Amino acid sequence: MTEEQVKKLLEELKSDLESAESSTATTKLWHKYFSDTGSFKLLIKKIKDLPDEEKKTTALIIQQAYKEAQELFTEKEKSIKGGEMSGNIKSQSEDINPIAPKIGHLHPISKTIREMNELFTSMGFSIMDGPEIETDEFCFQRLNVPSDHPARDMQDTIYIKEPDFLLRTQTSSIEAQVLAKYKPPFKIVCPGKSYRNESVNKSNHFVFHQYQGVVVTERANMKDLFGTFQVLFKKMYGEDVVTRYRNKYYPEVEPGVGPDMQCFNCHGKGCPLCKGVGWIEMGGAGIIHPNVMKMAGLDTKKWVGFAFGLGLDRWVMAKYKITDIRTLLGGNLGYKYYENESII
Amino acid sequence: MKVLYSEMKELVPGLKATPKEVGEALTLTGFMMDGFTEVSYKGKKDYLLSLEIRQNRADCLSVIGLTQEVAAYYNLKLNIPTVKPISKNTKKLNVKVEATKETKRVLAIKIDNVKNIESPAWLKEYMSFYGLNSAGLLVDLSNYVMMLTGYPSHLIDFDKTEGPICWSINNSFKEITTLLGSVTKLNNNEIIIRDNNSILALAGIIGGKTDSIDIKTKSIIAEIAIYDRSIIRKNSRSLSITTEASRRLEKDLDPNGADYAMKMLVSLILKYAGGQVASSLFSYYPKKYISPKIQFDKELPSKLAGIEISPKDTLRILKGLNFQVISKNNKLTVAPPTSRMDVSLPEDLAEEVIRIYGYNHIPTNETPCLEIVKNITPKNIILSEKIRDVLTSLGFDETLSWPLTQKGINDKFNYSELKEITTQNSVNDLFPHLRQSIAAGLLNQMTEYFKKGVEYIDIFEIGNVFGENGKNYLEHESLGILSATKNNTLPQFKDKVESLLRLLGFEDVKYFESKLKPRISNPESCWDIYANNQNIGIIYKLIPSETKLNIYFAEINIEKITKMLTSIDNNPVVELTQKLISLDVNIELNEKESIFMYLAGIEKSLDKNNIWSINIADIYQIEGKKRYTLRVTYKELSDKEAKKIHLKTFGLDNV
Repeated sequence: MTEEQVKKLLEELKSDLESAESSTATTKLWHKYFSDTGSFKLLIKKIKDLPDEEKKTTALIIQQAYKEAQELFTEKEKSIKGGEMSGNIKSQSEDINPIAPKIGHLHPISKTIREMNELFTSMGFSIMDGPEIETDEFCFQRLNVPSDHPARDMQDTIYIKEPDFLLRTQTSSIEAQVLAKYKPPFKIVCPGKSYRNESVNKSNHFVFHQYQGVVVTERANMKDLFGTFQVLFKKMYGEDVVTRYRNKYYPEVEPGVGPDMQCFNCHGKGCPLCKGVGWIEMGGAGIIHPNVMKMAGLDTKKWVGFAFGLGLDRWVMAKYKITDIRTLLGGNLGYKYYENESII
Repeated sequence: MKVLYSEMKELVPGLKATPKEVGEALTLTGFMMDGFTEVSYKGKKDYLLSLEIRQNRADCLSVIGLTQEVAAYYNLKLNIPTVKPISKNTKKLNVKVEATKETKRVLAIKIDNVKNIESPAWLKEYMSFYGLNSAGLLVDLSNYVMMLTGYPSHLIDFDKTEGPICWSINNSFKEITTLLGSVTKLNNNEIIIRDNNSILALAGIIGGKTDSIDIKTKSIIAEIAIYDRSIIRKNSRSLSITTEASRRLEKDLDPNGADYAMKMLVSLILKYAGGQVASSLFSYYPKKYISPKIQFDKELPSKLAGIEISPKDTLRILKGLNFQVISKNNKLTVAPPTSRMDVSLPEDLAEEVIRIYGYNHIPTNETPCLEIVKNITPKNIILSEKIRDVLTSLGFDETLSWPLTQKGINDKFNYSELKEITTQNSVNDLFPHLRQSIAAGLLNQMTEYFKKGVEYIDIFEIGNVFGENGKNYLEHESLGILSATKNNTLPQFKDKVESLLRLLGFEDVKYFESKLKPRISNPESCWDIYANNQNIGIIYKLIPSETKLNIYFAEINIEKITKMLTSIDNNPVVELTQKLISLDVNIELNEKESIFMYLAGIEKSLDKNNIWSINIADIYQIEGKKRYTLRVTYKELSDKEAKKIHLKTFGLDNV
């Protein structure tokens, strides 16, 4: 046995390991080289047949070669097993789906109402609603709207059965309902639909949304009303909002108030949006008229209240850049696929 | 109402405020400036202020009325133009008032030998500010007096009339040709001015062609009349004629002020058109208007405004507005001028004080000091908000639609026994009915989305639906959910609807074949939804449409479920200490038997405390029957205990 033969065996092992690609192949090689009948074991067995002077040297050569062979084998086995393990993970892996999921959205009217409700409930207001088919009594009479007021004309009111039953022309009817049914003190807001007998076009609709607020306590006053409005305007339009409050006539309040906001488009300079006046009318308000309180059976010496009503549609249209009021209810409102984008 | 700055300055010589400042002051006090234009008048630079007039302030549809406001605001003296008294004449005018209920006051006078020449340049220029073309001197002077005083007047060419001039209710004329030449059909019952043969004017609205002034007019009757405002408004609206006169007379205009206006008109006619007064002044005024005397608490303005307004300021403001104030024993009695027909209560006076004192003196930056009060929010509002949250989480978009629908729509979608409600007078006559189901609006939205190529049509709407039960008009809040898809199935849609109901707190949800099926539904796929054994809505597949989508719709009566839910929180937490035990059982039912009825029976016989869930694990269709594999999962029981209950419940213990 020569050193040459040992080297040849080691080369053969290296060649076999190189071509081995699976743990099955390395197992076969283990049997070929390292089992009791394997090539290295056979070499070791042959040492005893050598002359004594060669035994020690040859044993040392075989021992070194065996050690090297085992290291090569272990390394190869590790590499193959590692590879096979990563192959298993790969087969079980899943890719990230690049398609965004469908998510639902609130209608911008509902979203705005919700923002306002959150503000008012944080201030201790309750949220109320009421019937959309109303009686003349609750829509007009109890709100101090005299019989010849323009709002009562057939052209302005949609009647179900004239003269008693109609579709409410204002959410103030909820105010009349609450005043009649609940004992003060109370603070309420009432979002809802109102109806007017108007032709439908880009700017007008026979259905629109209002946001009514009513406070009846022992000491409500205009300063509280203005403060409440200011909190609302700041919440909806930011801290820098510029407002003014002017006298305005509404039959159900006295004194009456017209809250205006400086035009956000031109900052008071005048533009088509604000019809050149620099201000945008936000609604109507005032101290509840004593006739309204009396008709609800409330003692005006004890109770005083304020009320306000805001039109929501134009507010929402401005906020979401909607140019046609019909879009809000008429089927043209879409939600972009990606969240946090404007309404189309 | 438009007013020139120079006119106000002439009436209030002490006025120092700039035109813009005057406009802003008027805005604050109730007359919003909606136009401000630099103009030239009588060869000088001037400013035309356009102001929105409060509905109850007929007195301010005049230069003098508005200038009174300016004087009061700046605490300055108003010099009302003096007019000459009308010269006396004893000849009686042949005038009658038959419409006594509708007519508050009539003043009329005859002037002879007038010359209706061309108006002077200043008058033509003045008319142009109000968008009026010059119509000859007499008519222009009449309009000028109206702008100045707020009182419309009407000039009749006396030589074109026959017999007495009479204010009456129309019951004979079918139409009128107005002085503008247009023919208007009459409805009867209008208040008119007539003579023996002709209709001379729609009283308070517009004059007729028959008696109109022309260049040859020599003899005129000038009349100023005040009516019950409601008849003028009614006539103006029903005939679709709105004029400067009708705008003023459909408001409460002080009958007492007509005297001043008539004097001004007569003196101007005599000055510019010549002529002589040819009759005595006819005056019909059966019930003289006297202003009320109001007991007034000086503290009321402060109490309502929430700021201190001194009694001194209160008195100054009221006197500045020409209110008579009598102070006796520290109590005030206030009488407004008769021109202020809008003031009758202490709160009206308080408003006068606060608005002239200035709303801008009331701070806006103070946190409102409102009392803490009880929350009275009804449960349906909280529930609706939760529904919105759940459905958007499930991928549904919210839509809103018109509650009024077209003819025939309710026939397709209704599944209630209530009658359709129809509006009487909607100008949008294509949409006369109130919806009976939310489905119509959602289907319309779906069609729009489909046309526009929007994918993923999962939408919902919360709104009221309506119906009549013979005696009452009924409405309730309703939720509609619609899904239109190429691939989804009714069970998948039902799972979403049921997820909502379960999240709202309903543990017991079942479906039975609908008793009343909408025409739009596939009758084989239409189910009433029951929760806690009560019918709360409907779920169905729509009959195929041209969109070739699978369309599913569900509607839930929110009012009903609000009453059923004692709590809106659904959080069925239990303590789980032992392994759950699931046991299956196969049952066979005839095709017409309801699995839900079967399950309802089973649920009754089981102790809820030991049940984790009951699921249908599998369904097999076999000849005329359905075989269900039910999987009952028991909790907090040993294997033996669970098996014993299971076998007993399903009648297997004897097998």
